[in-house]
Amino acid sequence: MNVTFFIQVLINGIAIGSVYALMAVGYSLVYSIMSFSNFAHGGVIMLGAYIGYYSGALFGLPIWAAILAAMLGCGLIAITIERAAYNPLRKRNAPPLYYIISAMGTSILLENLIVATIGPNFKTYPPLFTERSIEIGKIAIGKLDLLMLVISAVSLFLLVFLIDKTKIGMAIRATAYNLRASSLMGVNPDTVIFIVFGLGGAMAGVAGVLFGMRYVVYPQIGIITNKAFVGAVFGGLGSLPGAIIGSVLLGIIEVMASAYWSSNLQNLIAFVLLIFVLIVRPSGIMGVSTEDKA
Amino acid sequence: MMLQIKNLNVHYGGIHALRGVDIEVERGEIVTIIGSNGAGKSTLINAISGVVKASGGTILHDGKELAKKPNLIVKEGIVQVPEGRLIFANLTVADNLAMGAYLRKDHDGIAKDLEKVYTLFPRLLERKSQLAGTLSGGEQQMLAMGRGLMSDPELLLLDEPSLGLAPLLVNTIFEIIETIYKMGKTILLVEQNAYKALAVANRAYVLEQGRVVMEGPAAQLAGDPTIQEAYLGKRTT
Repeated sequence: MNVTFFIQVLINGIAIGSVYALMAVGYSLVYSIMSFSNFAHGGVIMLGAYIGYYSGALFGLPIWAAILAAMLGCGLIAITIERAAYNPLRKRNAPPLYYIISAMGTSILLENLIVATIGPNFKTYPPLFTERSIEIGKIAIGKLDLLMLVISAVSLFLLVFLIDKTKIGMAIRATAYNLRASSLMGVNPDTVIFIVFGLGGAMAGVAGVLFGMRYVVYPQIGIITNKAFVGAVFGGLGSLPGAIIGSVLLGIIEVMASAYWSSNLQNLIAFVLLIFVLIVRPSGIMGVSTEDKA
Repeated sequence: MMLQIKNLNVHYGGIHALRGVDIEVERGEIVTIIGSNGAGKSTLINAISGVVKASGGTILHDGKELAKKPNLIVKEGIVQVPEGRLIFANLTVADNLAMGAYLRKDHDGIAKDLEKVYTLFPRLLERKSQLAGTLSGGEQQMLAMGRGLMSDPELLLLDEPSLGLAPLLVNTIFEIIETIYKMGKTILLVEQNAYKALAVANRAYVLEQGRVVMEGPAAQLAGDPTIQEAYLGKRTT
């Protein structure tokens, strides 16, 4: 067992997992209020990757500005999706299944909209660092990994702070527990839903830019959110800390499996984990309820 | 007239839950609605709060039509303490009370009311940093009432506050209702425990199968032979 190698792999796993977490919190926030899995989330992340790409390639914005642009853009896109695809269902008291179908339709629409306009080609972010890694003793850490880790950690910290310590965060938690009771306290459910989609979208924007930077940008990049969804279910769908913990663990497990076993397993392992969790502990690590996850 | 309900109808799917209900609540009164299970008492409260949509009729608040959405009705000062309490089990006791004051901006007023609530319910002060889900049934009812008071309501709608509580606690809850009334709140109380409700209220309505079948001063209804037989468990021979 080579300790240096292990630490490098571990950091790599945490970095990837933390970006999964950025996506997973969007699933969890929406699920906690509206009890359905918003599969249009992948489309929002894909658009975030493109916003980041064009901010850098076309307008020459620095990385932090590209991330801010993607946060803002994706927040607005997520809110627009809610208005167009879910709000009409909400007014009619539609069952969760309708939301899921609407979400999948939206996801396909966004993907093909990009194929039709920008085109199906891969796009590569301009290189950010000339040297790819820094060395601490014998351990070489990828600069990109480090950047992903730091930006994800800061974003997630801000999100958790907002949910745990502010008044609107308290209203979101109360609404997640019981929408009717919170409306009897004077909370407007529309406001809570608006903010939840905005926050989830902003986090998706950060994730899109980070993934675009690490890999390449293409219309189907949103498929990566399947992993984040597994992370959210693993941690307990609807729980914010659960989504973060589940995603980071998933990142570590994935990278470890591919480093020590076979890189072919990296994608398989997430779904084996999903099936395993659903059989053994359907409520996930931090989940409270065992009702079916739609 | 603080609250004036005229010819209120509510349909639940195929069920006609309220059939032309007329109810009035004057400022500074405790009005109670008694009736058996399924008579439409909770439906009435939820229709006032906007949680259930009325299919006909009007609700006037100080002569003007009441808002339709729950959060706007709270803004008008009409606040429900729901049946089954519906407290936020995932929040602390203190945060539950803060949720009650969600729409208020007057920090001094909120602090004063919080003090009042803690004086009224010392148990809540002891447990203020505990998660509300860990409270006992009686404590949860107290929290639900305290949370309602934190909104500084004009009119408090109490939905079955004694439901499922031990007899000793039922007495405590009714004492607290009197105290709240003396604090100057108007109360609309829906209760299955007709005996206790009639003892505390000024006026009462009897609801049967979605209709008001009797109304009058609470003391008078408490002495009525048909009420005694149907709701107070007394035999009149």
